[in-house]
Amino acid sequence: MTLQLLISGFSLGAVYALIAVGFAIVFSIFKFSNIAHGGMISACAFIGYFFQSSFEEPPPFIVTALFTTGVGVLMALLIDTIAYRNIRKKQAPGLYYFLMSITVAILIEQILSVFFGKNLHTYAPIFSSTTFSIGGLRFSSIDTLIMVISLAILSALIFVINKTKIGLAIRTVAISPSTSQLMGINSSVVIMAVFAIAGALAGISGVLLGTKFSVYPSLGPSMMTKGFIVSVIGGLGSLGGAIVAAIALGVVEIFLTYWLGSLSTPIVLFGIMLLFLTVRPEGISGRFAKDKV
Amino acid sequence: MAGILEIRNLKVFYGVHEAVCGVDMDIAEGTITAIIGSNGAGKTTIINAISGMVKRQGEILYNGKPLSDKANRIVKDGIIQVPEGRKIFAGLTVEENLLAGAYTVKDRKEINRLLEEQYALFPRLGERKKQDAGTLSGGEQQMLAICRGLMGKPRILMLDEPSLGLAPVVVNEVFRNIVRIRDEGITVILVEQNAKKSLGICDRAYVIETGRVVLSGTGSEMLNNPEVAAAYLGSERN
Ligand SMILES: Nc1ncnc2c1ncn2[C@@H]1O[C@H](COP(=O)(O)OP(=O)(O)OP(=O)(O)O)[C@@H](O)[C@H]1O
Ligand SMILES: [Mg+2]
Repeated sequence: MTLQLLISGFSLGAVYALIAVGFAIVFSIFKFSNIAHGGMISACAFIGYFFQSSFEEPPPFIVTALFTTGVGVLMALLIDTIAYRNIRKKQAPGLYYFLMSITVAILIEQILSVFFGKNLHTYAPIFSSTTFSIGGLRFSSIDTLIMVISLAILSALIFVINKTKIGLAIRTVAISPSTSQLMGINSSVVIMAVFAIAGALAGISGVLLGTKFSVYPSLGPSMMTKGFIVSVIGGLGSLGGAIVAAIALGVVEIFLTYWLGSLSTPIVLFGIMLLFLTVRPEGISGRFAKDKV
Repeated sequence: MAGILEIRNLKVFYGVHEAVCGVDMDIAEGTITAIIGSNGAGKTTIINAISGMVKRQGEILYNGKPLSDKANRIVKDGIIQVPEGRKIFAGLTVEENLLAGAYTVKDRKEINRLLEEQYALFPRLGERKKQDAGTLSGGEQQMLAICRGLMGKPRILMLDEPSLGLAPVVVNEVFRNIVRIRDEGITVILVEQNAKKSLGICDRAYVIETGRVVLSGTGSEMLNNPEVAAAYLGSERN
């Protein structure tokens, strides 16, 4: 049983990690908490759902996932253009970004509630059987798939950030936008790359969450809360810290649910997070929220 | 002899405050041009105006053609600034700092060659390539900042107070390297508080006061100028 729970926990934690990282990467560049990320996740969950339902026979999961990821990228760039670009041009203080992101988040949630909030939507099942067994142990098919996809995406992202030219540019802009300009780095390219990455992460998290749970307007925001806290606990803007904290949260949550039931788990869970923030506000990575990816 | 950089009536405003008030300069290719002047004279602002880091008025011709006003374009075109205070990327390794400097260089092989070149000139950087650049000493950080500038293959390298806060031996090393960079054919614009040393190595110098050029001439002319001696050389260290 323990191993199955562990896989479940890793799977849930890996999705939290996708959310936390999408959140942390925007924070690392702009130093504001992009609350709108949760709204994007909900919107992408719906878009994936409607895309899938528009076919007689649901397309392969990978097609839905790729399509939604692409839409997530476009949506993030659109939100940047409409909501953030002007604030950036005016060099307004960080508070305005924050207000804007709350506004966008609520706007998206309201639109979704008005048009699609009446019914519960569920994705077509991917697997004919919900579990599979290896050597006498039964595993949840969907949890395993989610875990594999999430970990693959996180690895790819870590590679991009640490080993590619654009990744280095993202890290230098996170440290100092003006010095980065002196290296010939085009800040608008970096900003677009960061929103594109965040959008792609919102897209894929939306589809994975929609597949695991069902699709409803506050799906993203509720998950987002955990992603947000986890990215603070990990050390805001630290990708490695956010991933470790997210996976730990997922595992703890699953075990608590098993022992205490799903009703009292959130109380204990948020209690632990409160304790962590009190005792070690600088997060796992040991640095206060500052300029590092 | 047409200069590589011709600056005509350069003006920079910070709000209503005019920090640079109509500066003319001619920078000849392959030379060291020193810009000296007291604190707040406008030296950094002139450099930033060339780099496209602040909005400028007036005309700058680079190889006879108008210079772009986009910072990233200017770097790509070969005019690179090593900023005041070094501004190395703390948190990134020494090597990542150098790679950031080579952002505009496309060819991976060329980047590796440039890296080897820096490590050959400054073995200490090579020994510390995986170290957090923020943990380097002030002198090492200055070398790193200069090497990071050289990684972008500049035709003009602008150094803003490279000797600031360094011990005399390290200052000498910095100045030796500036001469070497010039001898390799790179045009150098050197902003310095250390007037005696910079006038000693430069081919031409401009003295800036409150945003204006008040004197210009060759290095030795300036060293022998009594006004310069009184204002800038009097209380010089070494
Ligand atoms: N970002 C800015 N906003 C407003 N005023 C500025 C700004 N930067 C510089 N100034 C002003 O412009 C003038 C010139 O400053 P600048 O930094 O160019 O001087 P400097 O010659 O480089 O001085 P130092 O030797 O101290 O580095 C100063 O009066 C300064 O206060
Ligand atoms: Mg200065």
